[in-house]
Amino acid sequence: MRPDAARIEALVAELLSELLDPVEAKRLAKTPARVAESLGFLTSGIGSRATAQTLAAAPASHGMVITRDIELYSMCEHHLLPFFGRCHVGYVAGARTAEPGELARVVDGVARRLQLQERITEEVAAALYEALEPKGLGVVIEAHHFCMMMRGVEQQRSSIETSAVLGSFRQDAALRRSFFSLAFAHSAEER
Amino acid sequence: MNQQNVERIVRELLIELGENPSREGLARTPARVAAALEFLTSGYRADAERLINNAIFTQHTNNMIVARDIELYSLCEDHLLPFFGRCHIGYIANQRVFGISKLARLADMHARRLQIQQRLTDEIAQTIFEAIDAEGVGVVIEARHLCMMMRGVQKQNSVVITSAMLGSFRDAPATREEFLALIARSRP
Repeated sequence: MRPDAARIEALVAELLSELLDPVEAKRLAKTPARVAESLGFLTSGIGSRATAQTLAAAPASHGMVITRDIELYSMCEHHLLPFFGRCHVGYVAGARTAEPGELARVVDGVARRLQLQERITEEVAAALYEALEPKGLGVVIEAHHFCMMMRGVEQQRSSIETSAVLGSFRQDAALRRSFFSLAFAHSAEER
Repeated sequence: MNQQNVERIVRELLIELGENPSREGLARTPARVAAALEFLTSGYRADAERLINNAIFTQHTNNMIVARDIELYSLCEDHLLPFFGRCHIGYIANQRVFGISKLARLADMHARRLQIQQRLTDEIAQTIFEAIDAEGVGVVIEARHLCMMMRGVQKQNSVVITSAMLGSFRDAPATREEFLALIARSRP
């Protein structure tokens, strides 16, 4: 079901009239339509299955392939405030491989829902594991959360790091260690 | 703000977006969002007079005072998404100075409204200028906007810079340049 933009617009207008005095609410008369459009986009992944579609047969190589720094933007399900950061995906090919752009599409599809960072990490890993049938796969996400930065504890520099590992990455500690060290290789330059 | 109304509106929004507002992660979301929005718009209800008047001191100085890199978070009035960055404030006093934390508190007060960056910049400058009858005031804000980063044009590294110059900061090029030089050194 696609969201009803007119209905969302009406709800946002009602919200603004609760938060603002009438003069300010009137000044922002065009805001509800913009917010409805924006919210529709940012939650466009709700109810759709994020999966990698354009795939290629894996070459006979056993090396690990890592795609670093996939931009990630999502909305936290507790405060409806954004969180943002980078996602790193690594895998040792089994049945199929995917272009880096295809990985980014899966990340976007999962992130454009009301989310928790831990769940995005798990869902991206599960979707790619199913599509690629790799020998092993890992996903790491580093993100900053506005709910921590602009309100609440007001921690401006704290970042949250989450990971999910499947297949040989889970069983083989050496493999996992090399994935983590490559995924975090440049994280000091964050922000 | 009527807390219960806001919670009801947020719950209905969740349903419209295709969510189940009863699932564990969302059950308390309407209350959390209501509290977050109340805080993020608290600048409308703040009393600037009271904030300022308890912390203005007589000081016979006629030199520039600069507060750099004040962290700043606001909500854009078009999309209700955050914009964030740093605010730099400089002023030349005319017998009266602010307590040192008050510049940051004034910036927060104006930022906790639905804003556009240029108006936020102007409001901070004007409030300071009037409160202490300063000889001059300069405010520069550098910020990144989530409405540009996560949707729309999706530019991740673009920074918007706005400035407001009043009094001697506007009329005397040397004063303005001194202020800009003081805030220009490399970021921590």
